[in-house]
Amino acid sequence: MSQVRMLVLIAVTLLIVLCSVFLGPRIVSPMATTDIDKEILFSIRLPRVLVALLMGMALGASGAVLQGILRNPLADPYILGISSGASLSAALGIIGGLTFLGTFTVPMLAFCGALVTGGIVGVMGWKRGGLWPDRLLLAGVGLSFLFSALLMLMMSISTDEGLRRAMLWIFGDLSMSEWPRIPYGLAFVMIGILLSTTRAKALNALILGDEFAHSLGFAPRRERFILFISVGLMTGASVSLGGMIGFIGLLIPHIMRFFLGSDSRMLIPASALGGGALLCIADLISRSLLPPLELPAGVITAIIGAPYFLYLLRRKDVLSI
Amino acid sequence: MKKILTLFIHDRLIRFYPRPDNVIEHMKNLFIIAALVLGISTSISAEIASPPKRIVSLAPNMTEILYALGLGDNIVGVTSFCDYPEEAKKKPKIGGMSDPSLEAVVSLKPDIVVMTTDGNPKEFEERLRSLEVHTYVSQARRLADLPRGIRELGVALGVRERADALADKIAAGIRNSAGQKAALASPPSTPKKILFIVWPEPLIVAGPGTVINDAIALLRGENLAATAKTQYPKYSIEEAIRQAPDVIMIGKASGMDMQAISNGILQRLATVPAVKNGKVCFMGDSLYRLGPRVVKGIEELSECLK
Amino acid sequence: MSSASKPKILELDGVSYSYDQNRSVISDLSFSVGEGAFIGLLGANGSGKSTILKLGSGILKPLSGSLLLWGKSLHTLNNRDRAKLISYLPQTLDITVPFTIKELVSMGLYPYDIPPAMTVDDALDMVGLRDKADAHLTDLSGGERRRTFIAMTLLQGAGLLLLDEPLANLDIKYQIELLKLLRRLKEQRNISVVMALHDINIALQFESVILIQNGRIIASGDPETVLTREMVKHAFDVNVEIKGSGTGGIYVSYENNFL
Repeated sequence: MSQVRMLVLIAVTLLIVLCSVFLGPRIVSPMATTDIDKEILFSIRLPRVLVALLMGMALGASGAVLQGILRNPLADPYILGISSGASLSAALGIIGGLTFLGTFTVPMLAFCGALVTGGIVGVMGWKRGGLWPDRLLLAGVGLSFLFSALLMLMMSISTDEGLRRAMLWIFGDLSMSEWPRIPYGLAFVMIGILLSTTRAKALNALILGDEFAHSLGFAPRRERFILFISVGLMTGASVSLGGMIGFIGLLIPHIMRFFLGSDSRMLIPASALGGGALLCIADLISRSLLPPLELPAGVITAIIGAPYFLYLLRRKDVLSI
Repeated sequence: MKKILTLFIHDRLIRFYPRPDNVIEHMKNLFIIAALVLGISTSISAEIASPPKRIVSLAPNMTEILYALGLGDNIVGVTSFCDYPEEAKKKPKIGGMSDPSLEAVVSLKPDIVVMTTDGNPKEFEERLRSLEVHTYVSQARRLADLPRGIRELGVALGVRERADALADKIAAGIRNSAGQKAALASPPSTPKKILFIVWPEPLIVAGPGTVINDAIALLRGENLAATAKTQYPKYSIEEAIRQAPDVIMIGKASGMDMQAISNGILQRLATVPAVKNGKVCFMGDSLYRLGPRVVKGIEELSECLK
Repeated sequence: MSSASKPKILELDGVSYSYDQNRSVISDLSFSVGEGAFIGLLGANGSGKSTILKLGSGILKPLSGSLLLWGKSLHTLNNRDRAKLISYLPQTLDITVPFTIKELVSMGLYPYDIPPAMTVDDALDMVGLRDKADAHLTDLSGGERRRTFIAMTLLQGAGLLLLDEPLANLDIKYQIELLKLLRRLKEQRNISVVMALHDINIALQFESVILIQNGRIIASGDPETVLTREMVKHAFDVNVEIKGSGTGGIYVSYENNFL
């Protein structure tokens, strides 16, 4: 039953990806003939759709994992402060006009910022030989406040217009997607998804609690640590690909639980697909609605996703809280 | 749990607060329309016979105009954005354009506070008036409004002759550039398609309602972003490619190496005529402010179009 | 606590534990669980019952002493092998994710690469929850929730169940139901059960009772011999009357405490 639904989900995601490539401000035929159409298709749209797909996948999957390891249905990939750290270092790069790695500079700074922040949260959340959900959560929230505040401070004391532009990057921008970013994005996102999917049983057990997980034959601390690493990789890669996109990490796992149940072995891949599909649609709308103006994709994800989630919430017990 | 939930929600608020950059832009426009409709910012709250001794300027373009009118020595306070001319940087700062400090302004005991509808909050002007501080609010927002705006300011500050002279000079400068271009434009039936990039990543260009747009129209060019919905739209790269600009201009952001940070976008636009034919110009920031430097900005623009 | 003829499946010898250096929770504890045992671990709040179960299941490592599971040292077994022998259910079952009953019970198969003969449906049949397989935990009564997790441990196939206060927060009807279920499973599947308790009258239903006070065993054996007026006073600091006589006929009365 859930296998059938999974296949449907895969098919729908593929369809959406194809639509996103060929639709847009103008429809480009798959048999594009003119040079401009080819250019737009291969250099602009394909990388952009792939980046949207990867980011959405990373956010959806890491949301599903994080809600499990933190045992908190309100957790999302940004709550650990990883994204705030990434944004801060990216903003420093943008404002400081750093270009030592060419167009890679800002994404790489963001990724390093994410990993460093993940490391700090990990150290803060570590006690008695393991990561503790509440400690992680509070360390993440605290760090995220600190970094947001530093970012705001930079914004308010800077007289530089560049900073305002940096904000646009931080708060989700897919327009700069280009081929060179895809291999490393793909690598980190896939490592994260595979790592977490292979630990999905342990994740299920961790959701019941560390004592259950132990009783079911897992080493809860080690499993939580591995899953935490996978979240760090996925979130870091996602922020570095295109800034912060809200909603997906928090609510896609809940929507997917409604369709496919809560078993993480299904939920992680399903949340990845659902997140990827949603971000592709949102980006398609954001660039097609008022061309040549582009709207922020993160706003669209929430505008189409949130009402649907609220509808589900009214209809069924999506959350067991 | 409840605590964590509260923290969480608070965190969201903080995080979302700076997000709607475009919304701020929209709000600004709405405010300006509202200001005009309600006639709140009727320009002069008091006519003054001799030049005021103590002037506070709440906008960089107004600061520049004040200096051009020879009132530089009378300026006692400026915003943190006022960086031209060089002396302006040394003046006491009263905060930003959208968030000036009331206390700082009042403590400078200004004879008049010069403001603009383009960026200063109307509530601030109301507060100042309620404290019986004289204000002048400029409504000039388009290139064509500038000479009249300067004349009105001159009346308000009691430097009518100097203001008229400056306004005449600017009006003449604008007319000359336009005339020159009209002569250059051959054939005039095919205007050059121009994309004026304000920020390369993400691509933000100068759209309708900006001085840049007016200047391009004046020189009979075609601003590709003229039909976009906002003043500074985040622009679709694929539309930019499709629209095939003949000339790309890249404005200056202070403290930035624009050539270095524009490499990426120029690579992505490699197929458009402007990049292929090397018609990419790195501009100054003269056209970002509706002040005396617009003439220089228009000359720069027309130089690039040659 | 079991007769000498039956093989010992869990042996604790001189086990000590403390959460911090100043306060010792368990000191020099020794007891063993024989095959097919049905033991109640009785003691006041904070007496160390939960800690003993966590030590017995290997969640906590003792500071000193040894733990043997079927004669092998508990902490040298790898996690999955241990999980096939011993199963622990914590007292609180707060689950933040809407797993279905079937999803929860099937987690009992996690220690196995090749699934054992028993299926999820078999396990649900044994606890009488087959018709609720697709329900969520929130849709079930307290007793049904406990039974869900018992089904999980059955599927896990462990010969020893360590249950921390499984009867807490259950109506008397569900307490009786769950005890009968556990007894039946013990007989049918030769499972040994050790559970923490705080209700003295419920303890009288066990084959064997271990009375704990301040992390030490103060008495153990047949409940009717262990639960004397003096011992209850010692362990719980209340005066009780032991009423009735004969097998299953006695009960503990607290009435005089309210006078």
